[in-house]
Amino acid sequence: MGPLIPQGFVNPDLNLFFAFVIGLGFGYVLEQGGFSNSKKLAGVFYGYDFVVLRVFFTAAITAAIGLLLMSYLGLIEYDMLYINPTFLWSAIVGGVIMGFGFILGGYCPGTSMVGAVIGKIDAMFFVIGMLIGIFIFGSFYDTFMPLYHAADLGSLMVYDSLGIGRDVFVVALTLIALAAFIITRKIENNVNGITDAPKGLFHRSYTAPFAILLALAFLVLFLPDSPSGKWFEKDAKALLEEAAAGKQYISTEEVAYKLLHPTENDLVLVDLRSSDAYSRFSLPAAVNIPLADILKNTSKQRLESSKGKLVLYSYSSTDADQAWLLLRRNGFDNVQVLEGGLNGFFAHFFNEKAGETEKDQANLFSERFKTRAEDAFKTGEAAQKINAKASPVTTIVDIVPPPPGKGGC
Amino acid sequence: MEQKPKSYMNSYLAGFLLGLVLLASFFITGRGLGASGAAKSVVIETIGSISPEYAEAHPFYASFFAEGDGRPMRNWLVFLTFGVLGGAFFSGFMSGRAGLKIDKGPRISNTSRLIFAVAGGILFGLGSQFGRGCTSGAALSGMAVLSTAGFVTMMAIFGTGFVIAYFFRKLWIN
Repeated sequence: MGPLIPQGFVNPDLNLFFAFVIGLGFGYVLEQGGFSNSKKLAGVFYGYDFVVLRVFFTAAITAAIGLLLMSYLGLIEYDMLYINPTFLWSAIVGGVIMGFGFILGGYCPGTSMVGAVIGKIDAMFFVIGMLIGIFIFGSFYDTFMPLYHAADLGSLMVYDSLGIGRDVFVVALTLIALAAFIITRKIENNVNGITDAPKGLFHRSYTAPFAILLALAFLVLFLPDSPSGKWFEKDAKALLEEAAAGKQYISTEEVAYKLLHPTENDLVLVDLRSSDAYSRFSLPAAVNIPLADILKNTSKQRLESSKGKLVLYSYSSTDADQAWLLLRRNGFDNVQVLEGGLNGFFAHFFNEKAGETEKDQANLFSERFKTRAEDAFKTGEAAQKINAKASPVTTIVDIVPPPPGKGGC
Repeated sequence: MEQKPKSYMNSYLAGFLLGLVLLASFFITGRGLGASGAAKSVVIETIGSISPEYAEAHPFYASFFAEGDGRPMRNWLVFLTFGVLGGAFFSGFMSGRAGLKIDKGPRISNTSRLIFAVAGGILFGLGSQFGRGCTSGAALSGMAVLSTAGFVTMMAIFGTGFVIAYFFRKLWIN
């Protein structure tokens, strides 16, 4: 489902509107948390106020666990999230410079804007300095280039860098944060000379966040590999019944008729064979999505964007049946399978008719027939040739409904 | 201000809410928060309008004008920052914290505080370009998606801060 805009659920033109709304929340929370005050911010480095550490850690862990749980429930596609790439040296050098900036200036970019807008003069000066700093970087861009691009490790995940499991890492991170909350409260009380502070490890100011974060972290750790059903998935039992009753099939006659009458054609043909086979021959206007790729995001988007009934086919109907199950289970309702597949399609029409057709068509047909025959022998379909059953739809180019025959592979 | 400023929100609650804002950002747009990006857009737009020739000749600016229909201010992070300004002003005003003021340690003058603020800003601006984002864009958002870059940047910023804090203690404490 999410992320909504990259997945196309929300018009990209609303992107900037959402940016503004999210910004409102960001600014409000930062100001309420005390991030508009440089003295409070710098406190983290001197032990008299650890608000930065508390807010920062809690926010990062809340979001990290939230993303994992949402991904688990199928609410968000983790692969589509922006993972900032790791350029190791650039990140370290940048971080060190920012560390100096933090101590000297007392702000970071986001908090300086929060401070500046409510009238903190030091924050306004910080913002001016920041613009100068970016200008300096731009001016010496050529000089900085080698460092800026050094040690490109790509979109590296931290648990991979550490060589531990993702869920274990999340729990460990949560435990580290909780330990930090306890220790920093002690330090804070010491530095500020608070002697009547309650003794003991736990303090009620963080009992609730402790419990919630830890519970969620363990939830992430102990959840089974994947949930039994996602919100958009069809019930497997109902699908089985449909499949057993053969309701997924669309007859060759109907497909052929619609192909020949474009005004009545509401079908989107999907060729599930390999792209090699597809490029050799296929049905008119069919799109090629190999079975192996059927659940890829790009394929799903392509199928979602096509209007009309999807008709799946392969040489026979086996691959198409599998694809049908997968697509239906993933929420596609308007999907059918070409009965008998390509082999059935050609067997149905060409066997009885090659002689009656016009000359140029006959050439075309014999060409196709050769290919088909080759495939038919390879897949073994020729061995079990049978007659097609009579069909109610009277068809194409005054073809007499062919004799009964063949059912799938 | 006649009325006494309200106290700040509980840090853990603020952190939790900030986490939800971050989560919403990822859910809607697929990316996290950021602040230095808007400042970068301002610099690029400014340079671009003062001296288009200079901007064209410099790869740092030119690449920006080449992509994204050449309008650096019509940018996700810029609008996010407009929102930040609005939200922060609303919060500060409602809590009685709005008003001209300089926050500083007890031992330095206003002038030195402002000079150091500019110096800090310059360093942060420079560093955020190397880090491909600042505390929010690289560190916080990066940690939320568990990227190595996020954790490295976070540790580099705060690690440096702790190491050098002692030498700059005059700025902040007695």
